Amino acid sequence: MAEPEAAAVSSLPAATEPPKPHPKKAPELPILERKNWLIYLLYVRRDYDECKAVIKEQLQESHGLCEYAVYVQALIFRLEGKIQESLELFQTCSILNPRSADNLKQVARSLFLLGKHKAAIEVYNEAAKLDEKDWEISHNLGVCYMYLKHFNKARDQLNNALELNRHDLTYMMLGKIHLLEGEMDKAIEVYKKAVEFSPENTDLLTTLGLLYLQLGDYQKAFEHLGNALTYDPGNYKATLAAGSMMQAHGDFDVALSKYKVVASTVPESPPLWNNIGMCFFGKKKYVAAVSCLKRANYLAPFDWKILYNLGLVHLTMQQYASAFHFLSAAINFQPKMGELYMLLAVALTNLEDIENAKRSYEQAVALDKCNPLVNLNYAVLLYNQGDKKGALSQYQEMEKKVNAAKESSALDFDPEMVEVAQKMGAALQVGESLVWTKPSKESKSKQRAAPVGKSSSAQQPLGSNQALGQAMSSAAGYGKTMQLPSGTSLLLLCEV
Amino acid sequence: MGLEPEPLFQAWSYFRRRKFRQCADLCSQLLEMPPGAQESDSEYSVFQAAWSLKTRALTEMVYVDEIDMDEEGIAEMILDENAIAQVARPGTSLKLPGTSQGGGPSPAVRPVTQSGRPITGFVRPSTQSGRPSTMEQAIKTPRTGLTARPITSASGRYGRLGTASMITNPDGPFINLSRLNLAKYAQKPKLAKALFEYIFHHENDVKNALDLAALATEHAQFKDWWWKVQIGKCYYRLGLYREAEKQFKSALKQQDMVDTILYLAKVYVRLDQPVTALNIFKQGLERFRGEVTLICGIARIYEEMNNISLAAEYYKDVLKQDNTHVEAIACIGSNHFYSDQPEIALRFYRRLLQMGVYNCQLFNNLGLCCFYAQQYDMTLSSFERALFLAENEEETADVWYNLGHVAVGIGDLNLAYQCFKLTLVNNNDYAEAYNNLAVLEMQKGHTEQARALLQTASALAPHMYEPHFNFAILSEKIGDLQRSYTAAQKSEEAFPGHVDTQQLIKQLKQHFAML
Repeated sequence: MAEPEAAAVSSLPAATEPPKPHPKKAPELPILERKNWLIYLLYVRRDYDECKAVIKEQLQESHGLCEYAVYVQALIFRLEGKIQESLELFQTCSILNPRSADNLKQVARSLFLLGKHKAAIEVYNEAAKLDEKDWEISHNLGVCYMYLKHFNKARDQLNNALELNRHDLTYMMLGKIHLLEGEMDKAIEVYKKAVEFSPENTDLLTTLGLLYLQLGDYQKAFEHLGNALTYDPGNYKATLAAGSMMQAHGDFDVALSKYKVVASTVPESPPLWNNIGMCFFGKKKYVAAVSCLKRANYLAPFDWKILYNLGLVHLTMQQYASAFHFLSAAINFQPKMGELYMLLAVALTNLEDIENAKRSYEQAVALDKCNPLVNLNYAVLLYNQGDKKGALSQYQEMEKKVNAAKESSALDFDPEMVEVAQKMGAALQVGESLVWTKPSKESKSKQRAAPVGKSSSAQQPLGSNQALGQAMSSAAGYGKTMQLPSGTSLLLLCEV
Repeated sequence: MGLEPEPLFQAWSYFRRRKFRQCADLCSQLLEMPPGAQESDSEYSVFQAAWSLKTRALTEMVYVDEIDMDEEGIAEMILDENAIAQVARPGTSLKLPGTSQGGGPSPAVRPVTQSGRPITGFVRPSTQSGRPSTMEQAIKTPRTGLTARPITSASGRYGRLGTASMITNPDGPFINLSRLNLAKYAQKPKLAKALFEYIFHHENDVKNALDLAALATEHAQFKDWWWKVQIGKCYYRLGLYREAEKQFKSALKQQDMVDTILYLAKVYVRLDQPVTALNIFKQGLERFRGEVTLICGIARIYEEMNNISLAAEYYKDVLKQDNTHVEAIACIGSNHFYSDQPEIALRFYRRLLQMGVYNCQLFNNLGLCCFYAQQYDMTLSSFERALFLAENEEETADVWYNLGHVAVGIGDLNLAYQCFKLTLVNNNDYAEAYNNLAVLEMQKGHTEQARALLQTASALAPHMYEPHFNFAILSEKIGDLQRSYTAAQKSEEAFPGHVDTQQLIKQLKQHFAML
C-alpha cells in the first residue's frame, strides 16, 4: 500500500503554507487540503466509516475539488469491491490533477480489475510517460499483456520491473508466464531466484516444490515443501504435495497423519480424499479406500485421476464390472493415456471379452512409450490365448523398454512384475536373456509426472494377470478446476 | 313399516364400507320422502338419522386430517408475528436455518432448498423449507420454493376444499348454514358433532363452526374434551394461537389423547417454540409409550432445526415400532445416500418398493442408489420406469437431470449434455441443470455460453452456491475481478463454510488492496 502515502506526501507539502504574519494564531491551511492528514490516518487505520464521513464533509466544503478526498474515497470503494465507482472517482482525480502519474496508475489499475486489459495498457503507457522509473507500471503492464496472451511483451515488461525493483509478485508472474509457455526449466530458475530473494514466502516455496515434484526431483521438492510447512504448518497445498510424496515412498501412516491436519479445514477437497483413499489402498484397506475415493468422485465427477484409482482398486478387489465402468469413464476424460487402456484390457480379460481386450491392448501399446508393464500384460494375455508368437514379440518390446529404462537409471521394477516376467521368459524359452538382476529397492521413483503410490496387487501365477498400474495421487493441482458441484444428484422426495 | 328401515340400513352399511357417494344418494332419497310419513314422536327420527348420515358421508368424502393440514401462505410467513423472540438463540428456533448443529452433510454433498435447509426425504403438506424474509422475495421466488404446494397469499387451500365439494353437489349445498338454528342443534350432541364436522371440513366455515362448538360445549358444561379440541382447532385456523393452546391444554387435562398432543405441538411449532413442542411430545410419549406419530413428530422437529443426526435417531425409533412407515424409511434412506452410504439407502428404498409404493420418485431414487452403489444392472431400468411413471413435466425433468449425472459418471459428456438439455425442455426453471450445462460448456471451452447459463442459474436459484461460485471462478479467469467478487460474495452467503470460495475472496481482496 504505497500509494496513499505517496499521495499524501505529494499533497501535504503543498498544504503547509509559510507561517502567517500573526504568530498567535495557528497556521491556517487552505480549505482544500485541511483534513488530508485526518483522512489518511483514518484510512490506514481501516476506519472506513469514519473516513467516509470526513471525506463527505471535506468534499462538501471544497465543492468536490479536494483531490485527496476523492482519491481515498475511490480506494475505499475499490476495497469494497465496487470497482466501477472507484474507476469513475479516479478519473475525476486525474482530471483534477492531470500531471500525476499516480492518478493515471490508479485509473489503469481499476480498468485492469474490471477486465479491460487493453484500455489499461493504454493508460499505463501514458502513466509511464510521466514517470519512467516506476516498477509498478512495468509489472502491471506485464500482467495485462499476460492476460492478453502477448507473452513476449509481458516477459520484457516483467524483467524490466525486476530491474527497477525486485518483488515477489513479479517473480510469481514471470514464473507463471514461463509455465504457460511450457518452459519448466526457466520457470524453475525464476522461482529459485525468487526464493533466494524472499526465503519466507510460502507461496513461492510451495510452487517451487511442486515444480520439482513434477520434474521428479524428490529431494529438492521435499526440501522446499518442508520449508513452506515450517513457516505455515496449515498450508493446504504444501501438505497435500508433501503427503503425496510420502505416499510415493510408502509412508502411508505419516502421510495420513499429514492429511489429518488439513482434513478438518478443507473437508470437501477431492484431491485430499483421493490421496487419503490411496493411502488406505496402500495399507490394503480396500473398503476404506473405495469409500474415500467414491466421496472424492462424488465431489469431482470430472477428475480422471480419481476414476483411474477407483478402477485400480476395484481391479485389485477383483470386481471387474465396476473396474471396467470406472476405467472407461476415466478414458473418456483422458483418452491419451496408455495405462488406462492397459487396465481396461485387464478388466475386459476378466470379463471374458478377449476381442475387446486385445483391441484395448493395441491402443495401449500404441499410446505408451515407456511402461514395460503394458507389453508384459499383453504378452501374458497372448500367451494364455495360445498365441506364442505375438507373446514373444510383446516380450521383446518389453525388454526394449526395460533396457531403455535401465539406461536412464530409473531402475525400479515391481518385484512382482519381475517375477511374472521371469516366468513368462521361461515359458517362452527366452528366460536366459533376462535384462534385470534383482532390482534395487531403495529408489522407487517413477517416470511419470504425477507422484505415484505403488500398487500392491495380489500377484498370481501366469494363469491370471498381472501387476497392475500405479495409483495416481494428485498433488494440489495448479489450475483451479471448475466444479460440477450442483453435482449432488437430486434424490427426489417421496411424496405419498 | 316393514320396508321402512331397509334403505336406511342399506345407507348405513354403505357408510361403513366407505362408499360415501352411494350412501349420500340413498340418504337424499330418504330425505325427500314426505316428512309426514315418519314418526315424529321419538327424540331421534329416521329423518334425523338420514340427515346426520348424509352430513357424515359428505364430510368423509373431503375429509383431510387436520393435523397434517398445515399450510402457511405468504401472509402468515411474513406479516404475522407470533414468535416471541426476534433473535432467538441458535438451536431454539425453527426460523434460523443456518444454525446447523447436528453435523449433517454440507451443501457440497446434499442439495439444499432455500438458504441452507437440506432437502428432506419426504414431502408433507406442512413441509416448510426456509422462509422468505420480505414480501418482494416471497413473490419473486418460485411458487413451490417454500412449501410442498404452490404458495398462496393466505392459506387458500382451506377454501379450495370447500369449493371442490360444491362440484360434487350439482343441486346446491346440502345445508344452508345461514338458516340453521345452531342453538337448537347444540342441544342434541349426537347431531351436533356430525354437523360440526360438516361445517368445519366440508363448508370450511370456521366462524359458524366455532359458534356451534361454543354453544355445544356450554351445553355439555365444559366436560367434553372433544368440543374443546374442536374449539381449539377453530382458533388455530383463525390464527388465535394462544387461545387454541388454552383449549388444547384444558382438553388434555380432561383426557389424554394422542390427537390433542399433536395439536398442541402444532401450535407451539407455529409459535416458533420447538423446544416446548419437543417437551410436549416427550411428555406424551410417557403416557403413550411407543406411539409412532409422536416419535415421528419429534423427528420432524429435529429435522426442521437441521439436527439431522438426532432426527435420524428418532426416525429409527419409529421404524422399531412400525417398520412400514414410509416417511421414516424415506428420510433415513436419503440420509444414508447423502452420507456416502448408497448401499444402505438402496436397501431402504427397496423396502419401500416391497411395500408396494410404485411411483416416479421411488424409482428415480432407486436408480440413483443403484448407480452410486455400483449395482449397474438395475440402474437404467429403474430410471426408465421412473420416466414412464412420471406424472408431470417437473418429475420428468428431475429424472432426466439425474440421468445426466449418470452420464457424467460414465464419462459420456455428450449424453450428459443431451440429458441436461432435456431437463430444461421439460422444466425451464431448473437451475441445477443450467449450472451443470454450463460446466459442460466450460469443458468444451465455450466461455460465453457458460457465463450466460450460469447467470441464468444464479438468477433462478439464488440460494444455490454452485452457480455463483462457478461464475466467480470463470470471471476471475478472464480477469473481470469485480464480477468475480460479487459472485463470490453471493456464493459465500449461500454456503458460508465453502473453503474454495473463501480462498477466492481472500485472493480477490488482495488484488483490491495491492499496488
